[in-house]
Amino acid sequence: MMPPLSQKTLDELTLGNDISLEDLVSRDGLGEVVKSANELFGVPIRVFSEEGKLLADAAESIELYAYLNTSKNGRAALSEVVAAVKSLSPGPEGEVSYTCVSGARYRIVGIVYDSRQIGRMIMGPFSVNTSDEPAKRLFELDPQLDSATLSALFQKLPRIDEPTLTRVARHLARVLDLLLFSGHRALLTSNMHLASVRESFRELEDKNQKLQVAYDRLKELDRLKSNFLATVSHELRTPLTSIIGYSEMLVEGLAGELTVEQREFVQTIRDKGDQLLSLIKGLLDLSKLESGTMSLRKNNVDVAALVKDVVSTMAPTARKKEVELSFDVERGLPQFWADAERLRQVLLNLTENAIKFTPASGAVRVVARIAGMDAASAQDAGGMVLLGARRTAIEFRVADTGIGIPEQERGRVFDAFYQVDSSSTREAGGTGLGLSIVKRLVDGHDGSVRIEANEPRGAVFVVTIPVKRATIS
Amino acid sequence: MQLDFVNRELTVKLVYYGPALSGKTSNLQALHRTAEPAATGRLMTLETRDDRTLFFDLLPLTFRNQGGLAVRLKVFTVPGQVIHASTRRLVVQGADGIAFIADSRSAETQHNAEAFMDLKENLKQHGLTLKQMPVIIQFNKRDLPDVRSDAEIAELAAQGREPVYLAVATRGQGVVESFVGLLHLTWSALDAEHDLNKKFDFDPEAFLTNVAQKLGDARPLPEILGASVGGALDVLRPEAG
Repeated sequence: MMPPLSQKTLDELTLGNDISLEDLVSRDGLGEVVKSANELFGVPIRVFSEEGKLLADAAESIELYAYLNTSKNGRAALSEVVAAVKSLSPGPEGEVSYTCVSGARYRIVGIVYDSRQIGRMIMGPFSVNTSDEPAKRLFELDPQLDSATLSALFQKLPRIDEPTLTRVARHLARVLDLLLFSGHRALLTSNMHLASVRESFRELEDKNQKLQVAYDRLKELDRLKSNFLATVSHELRTPLTSIIGYSEMLVEGLAGELTVEQREFVQTIRDKGDQLLSLIKGLLDLSKLESGTMSLRKNNVDVAALVKDVVSTMAPTARKKEVELSFDVERGLPQFWADAERLRQVLLNLTENAIKFTPASGAVRVVARIAGMDAASAQDAGGMVLLGARRTAIEFRVADTGIGIPEQERGRVFDAFYQVDSSSTREAGGTGLGLSIVKRLVDGHDGSVRIEANEPRGAVFVVTIPVKRATIS
Repeated sequence: MQLDFVNRELTVKLVYYGPALSGKTSNLQALHRTAEPAATGRLMTLETRDDRTLFFDLLPLTFRNQGGLAVRLKVFTVPGQVIHASTRRLVVQGADGIAFIADSRSAETQHNAEAFMDLKENLKQHGLTLKQMPVIIQFNKRDLPDVRSDAEIAELAAQGREPVYLAVATRGQGVVESFVGLLHLTWSALDAEHDLNKKFDFDPEAFLTNVAQKLGDARPLPEILGASVGGALDVLRPEAG
C-alpha cells in the first residue's frame, strides 16, 4: 500500500494544507478497507477526495434506484439526490445525515487527518429498520412507476440501525486514520530519503568542484615546475661545460705545465664537474619525461647484447666494492622493439643502485628471461576474452643482497627525489632521481616495474617490457 | 510559518536541535504524554532499529484561540549524529524557533558546543543568523551524576542572550517550561514581523496560558516563563515586553 512518491518539500508535506488523501493512501488500499466494511455490515460506502473525486466504491447496485431510473422523473429525482449527497459538508460535527426523495438515508462522514478534512465517506442508501417507510414523494414521482413494486424494492434496501452505523463510521475513521498516518510516515520517509541523498550529492558536487579547482592549480604548478627544471638544468649545463672544458685544458697542460698537486686539484675539479653534469642530465631527462617531450627511438633490441654491455660497464664499480656481479640471459629470447639506449639507461641505473646498496662480499645478479604479461592488470583477470590474451614480454630482474626495501615503501621509491631513508643518501650518494626516471622510461615502453623481496635478504627490481605494443593501451 | 487566511490557520515550525542522545526525542515524547488528546496527533518517529532518530520526529499540536484562529505547531527533532548533517540542514530549514537541547554532563560539554556550531553553520547555509532566530537552551539530564552545576550554568546563562532551562526530559521536568518559553519567544518574533496580534485580534498571553494548560501546566504564565535562568529573562516577561 505504498502511496505514490511525490516531489514535495518537507515543509509542504508537514506544514502546508495541500496534503491530499490520494497522497497518503492508495486507491486500492482504500477500496479494500471500505469493501470489507461493506461485506461486514452491508452498507454501501463510497470515499471521495476533498475535490470530489471518487476514490473507493463499495456498493452494489440498488434495485430501487434501477427501477427509478426507468422513468424520466425518477431519473431526474435520483440525479438530484446524487448532487445533494455529494455537495453536503460534514460540518464541524464531522458528520451529517441526509434523507433522499425515496426516504432512504445517507450519512456523510468527514475524513480528517492532522485536524484537517481531506475527504468524505458517504454511507448509504440504507433504511433503518422494518418500520421505515418509503417517503410519500416516492409514489408521486411518476404515475408510470408501480407503487407496489416501489414499496417492495424499498424494503430490499440495505438495513442498519443508526447506533451501529455510528460505530461502523467510527471504526472506519480509526482504521483510515492509522492508514493515513502510516502513509504519511512512509511518504515523509521516502521524501526525506531522497532529499537527504540529493543534499549529500549537492555537498559532494560542491567539494568536487573545489577539489577540481585545487587540482587544476596543482597541475599548472607541476607544469611550471617541470618547465623551470628544464630551463634551469639547461642553463646550468652551459657554464658547466666551460668549467669542464677549461679544467680539461689545464690538465692537458695547454696553459703551461702544472705541479703534481695542481694537476690533482684540477683533476678533482674536472671529475666533480663530470659528476655534476650527469646529475644535471638526470634532471633534464626527468623534466623531459615529465613534460612528455622525450621521444623514444625504438629499434629491434638484442637482449643478450644489452645485458652483457650493462654488466661489463658496471664490472669495475662492482669489483671496487667487492660485490660479485653476474648475469644470466635465457636462450632464444626474441628481439624486441624498444629504445636500446633508454633500456640500457634503465638497467645501468638499477644495477648501479644494486651495487651501491649491497655491502662488500654481497652479490648482484642481472637476469633476462621471457615472461607473460597480462593485458589487463595482474590483480584483475576479468575481461580477458575482450582485452586479449597474455602478451609475451621480456622480464629483466636485478637482484641484490643489500638492505632491501620495506613493503610499504615499494610504491614510493619511484617518486622523484624520494629516498627510503634520507640518511643513507649521504652515505650512498645520489639525487633520488634515478628510479623515477627508470619508472618513466619503462612506462614509455608500455611496461611495468616492481620490487620483490630477495631471499634471504635484499631486493629484486623487476622490469617487464612487452615484446610487441599492446593493441589496447 | 505558514498563514492560511481562508481557513484562519497559522502553522509554526519549531525544531529541537542538539547533539546526539541529548534527549530531543524524549522532550517530544514528554510533551506528547502530557498534551490533551484533542490538542495533539500521533507522535511520528522516523527512527532506526536502535531507537536513534534517522530523519526526524514530528509532533503536531493544534490550539484554537477565542478569535477563531487555529495555531498549528509542528514540533520537529533533528538526528543528532554527526553523519546526518544534510538531514539536519533539511529539517532546520524554515524553522520559526529552535530549542537547543544540551546534555548537562560535564563530559558532553564539547559535544554541546560542536552541535551548537553546527546549528549556526546550518542556519548560515539558509542565509540566517542566530540573532534572527528565536532560540532557547535546555540543559537536560539534570538527574545524572557528573553534571555541570546549577551555579555554573546560571553564571554562564546570565551572560548569554538565550533563556536557559534545566530539565529531566524523561520525567517531564522542565519540558513544558522550555516549550512555553520557546513558543513565547517565537510568537514575539513572528508578531514583530507579521503583526499577528493586531491582524487576528490575538491575545498572546491568553494563548500561551491556554497552551500550558493543555500541556498539563495550570500555573500562571509569568511563573512558567520565570522558570528560565539567564540574562535574557526580562525581555521575555510579558510585563516587560
